[in-house]
Amino acid sequence: MSTAIHDIGYRHYDGPRLGRGQTLRALYTHNLRALFGLGRGAKAKIIPFALAAFLLLPALADVAIKAIVKEAQFLIPMAAYGYGFQPLIAIFLAALAPVVASREIRYRSVPLYFSRPVGPWDFVAAKFGAFATALVLLVGVPVTVMYVGFLLTRSSLIEAAQQGGGFGSVEDIPTVAGITGDWALALLGVVLLALVLSSFALLVAAFTPRRGFGVAAVIALYLISNVVVGIVQGISQDRGAWDVAAWMNLFTPFNLVYSVQVALFDAESEPLIAVPDTAMGLTGLLLCVLVVAGSLAALHARYRKAGA
Amino acid sequence: MPIISTRDLTMRFPGVTALESLSVTVEPGVTGLVGANGAGKSTLIKILLGLQPPTSGGAEVLGNDITTGGAEIRRRVGFMPEYECLPPDVSATEFVVHMARMSGLPASAARERAADVLRHVGLYEERYRPIGGYSTGMRQKVKLAQALVHDPQLVFLDEPTNGLDPRGRDEMLDLIRRVGAEFGISVLVTSHLLGELERVCDHVVIIDGGRLLRSSAVASFTEASGNLVVEVEEGRDALGAHLAERGLTVQAEGRTLVVRIDGETTFDIIRDGVVDLDLALIRMEQARHHIEEVFQR
Amino acid sequence: MNVTIAALTLRGMLGRRRAVLLFVLPAVLLVLSAVLAFTGNDSLGVSTGVLEGFGMVVLLPLIALIVGTGVIGPEIDDGQIMYVLTKPIPRGSVILTKYVCAVGLITAFAALPILVSGVLLLGPGSDVPWAFAVGAVQGGVVYGAVFLALAVLSRNAVTIGLIYALVWESMIGGFIAGSRNLSIQSWAMSSVDELTTASTVEVDSSVATALVLALLTTLVALGLAVRRLSTLTLATAD
Repeated sequence: MSTAIHDIGYRHYDGPRLGRGQTLRALYTHNLRALFGLGRGAKAKIIPFALAAFLLLPALADVAIKAIVKEAQFLIPMAAYGYGFQPLIAIFLAALAPVVASREIRYRSVPLYFSRPVGPWDFVAAKFGAFATALVLLVGVPVTVMYVGFLLTRSSLIEAAQQGGGFGSVEDIPTVAGITGDWALALLGVVLLALVLSSFALLVAAFTPRRGFGVAAVIALYLISNVVVGIVQGISQDRGAWDVAAWMNLFTPFNLVYSVQVALFDAESEPLIAVPDTAMGLTGLLLCVLVVAGSLAALHARYRKAGA
Repeated sequence: MPIISTRDLTMRFPGVTALESLSVTVEPGVTGLVGANGAGKSTLIKILLGLQPPTSGGAEVLGNDITTGGAEIRRRVGFMPEYECLPPDVSATEFVVHMARMSGLPASAARERAADVLRHVGLYEERYRPIGGYSTGMRQKVKLAQALVHDPQLVFLDEPTNGLDPRGRDEMLDLIRRVGAEFGISVLVTSHLLGELERVCDHVVIIDGGRLLRSSAVASFTEASGNLVVEVEEGRDALGAHLAERGLTVQAEGRTLVVRIDGETTFDIIRDGVVDLDLALIRMEQARHHIEEVFQR
Repeated sequence: MNVTIAALTLRGMLGRRRAVLLFVLPAVLLVLSAVLAFTGNDSLGVSTGVLEGFGMVVLLPLIALIVGTGVIGPEIDDGQIMYVLTKPIPRGSVILTKYVCAVGLITAFAALPILVSGVLLLGPGSDVPWAFAVGAVQGGVVYGAVFLALAVLSRNAVTIGLIYALVWESMIGGFIAGSRNLSIQSWAMSSVDELTTASTVEVDSSVATALVLALLTTLVALGLAVRRLSTLTLATAD
């Protein structure tokens, strides 16, 4: 095929060149879309949307139960949603962190970005932002669905109570203010979870760009930390060493975030084996900050190296 | 006003010095950067782009210092790497549009420019298929397209003819010449083959072992190297003597004779000589340039 | 069995970053067991908890996943598999060789550490470590075949394998009684139960059924892998 082209000739570009902020937003959107497989064919959409659907189902069931059975209790406390469905979230992390973190590294296209007005920090910010957004949506949407479900069914629950069904009295039905507060704190927990999980998962994935390897590494870390902590907690429990058991919560990601929620955001302590106090909560929060900061810094270094 | 100028640029890696006190200026136009593999060409480009900080020394690109004005440089240059760097699961269009947006073009302008540029490099219907199924030639074109889409003032092309068949190579060299002449974009193109750059470059910079060996206009090279390589089955020395007697400048080299072309008659003299001495002529062709020649001077 | 392919496969698995994970994961088990043994927390209950909860439920499937997909996945991914497929070597031989390598690696990096952990915790006289080791080898034989087949069948083998191990085997397999018969985990554990009289190991599916299903699954998986590999040439030709 000849390159002698019957064309109008090359035209120079004199139009606007957008600033860093807008380029960053374009990169963020690009990563978020890639995450959910938008614009990449049907196959890439299966895993993210399937997992999102699985995570939404319990919330829908909760609303249905409220509406049909007229039961005011939440199936799962809003604050504990992320903690309760950790296997699904862990799979989401493992399957999709490589899509966000190491695609450009694997295909060696990072220098194409860095030879443009896009630098390592832009990469980190866009990818971290996109992945955290995805996680917030993944868990936050079901939580909000449960909240909205409560709002919608509250009046019918009150009616039912007044007619003597279900509960003892109308006073047993939670107030809107109370539940709204719970919902807000739950979302705070979701955001914290999203920040901690996404920064660390991206880090692991960025250092394991070979296909499949990143997935295995993320899951391995999650499972091993869970099982080791579980074993130690079990033993500590048997020996009555409640303190040790409580501190061990800080060593595995979902427990870490939930401990902070229990200690500082007034979440229910029931799912945890040992209850963390305020000191542990604050330490946990500090640990979260360190994990996020450390992961992002290491991620920056990794991308900078990949651009050379 | 030079588009690139370096001052004592040095790059040392543990175990190898890629660049050693390199001071060179590059004027607008199409400039070739020649050197054997490992001579430091790619390293130089990386440093000029700000992808790698030099060990010492400095440089300016388009009037901006590489350390302080890196962002400004990157707004105005394009880069075509030598290695595989394209994702296989997106189409050329998608990829080039994305790269245009990364260079700061608004969405609609990016789409327009991408379509234009892909046409200019010669990708038509195939631009909608995923890059994974492209041939090497097509991939090189995509790489070139993404380097040009944002209308840079200067493009760095690292070994653009790598892996291409002879026809593909010709196409690419033509494209490069057009980029320089018609598009009005300055080009710094690297290669380890001096011969092909002769056709497209106005100026050539030769580096070896990280050092500057020579920097001259192409014309000065081609003048001096109008040579013919003559190979006969037997009787090379006899032919050599015969030709020398007839006034030709002859040098023995390996199995061949290198004869300087002094005009149209050179070819006839050689032909007649071969016939007169009843020798079997294997080949008589234009001598290709080799980097070693420059080193021998 | 092709020795060259075996050597290349082993070198590929052990010579990369992937190998780090292969060494680190069992190391954690060993360290934990050593610490527990040293601090006197090695009762039968705790020990079988560690061997089952960590060794069989986490370590074995993970190692099997990394190894099973790793012996052939990356080669298919970057096209290197063509070098093997264009030689006159029967597809069955390729699969078999890689499978044997996989089982060997799983035994070395999962079954063996489980054995050592068990001995650290319960001492050399107990039959529990050996029971678990045998169960791990059995599990490895089946997991290896299934994950190898997955790697040939899909580019997302690791994720699918994970969903199986995490979602099916721990969530659903635990709740629905009937489906317990469809879990590689439980087949392995029923063998463990059979081989030891320890009271803390109790599984309710029958050993015979489990073994038959395990064997069947292994053969079907390997068969599928061979079949798919034969048609692979057409699909990935560039």
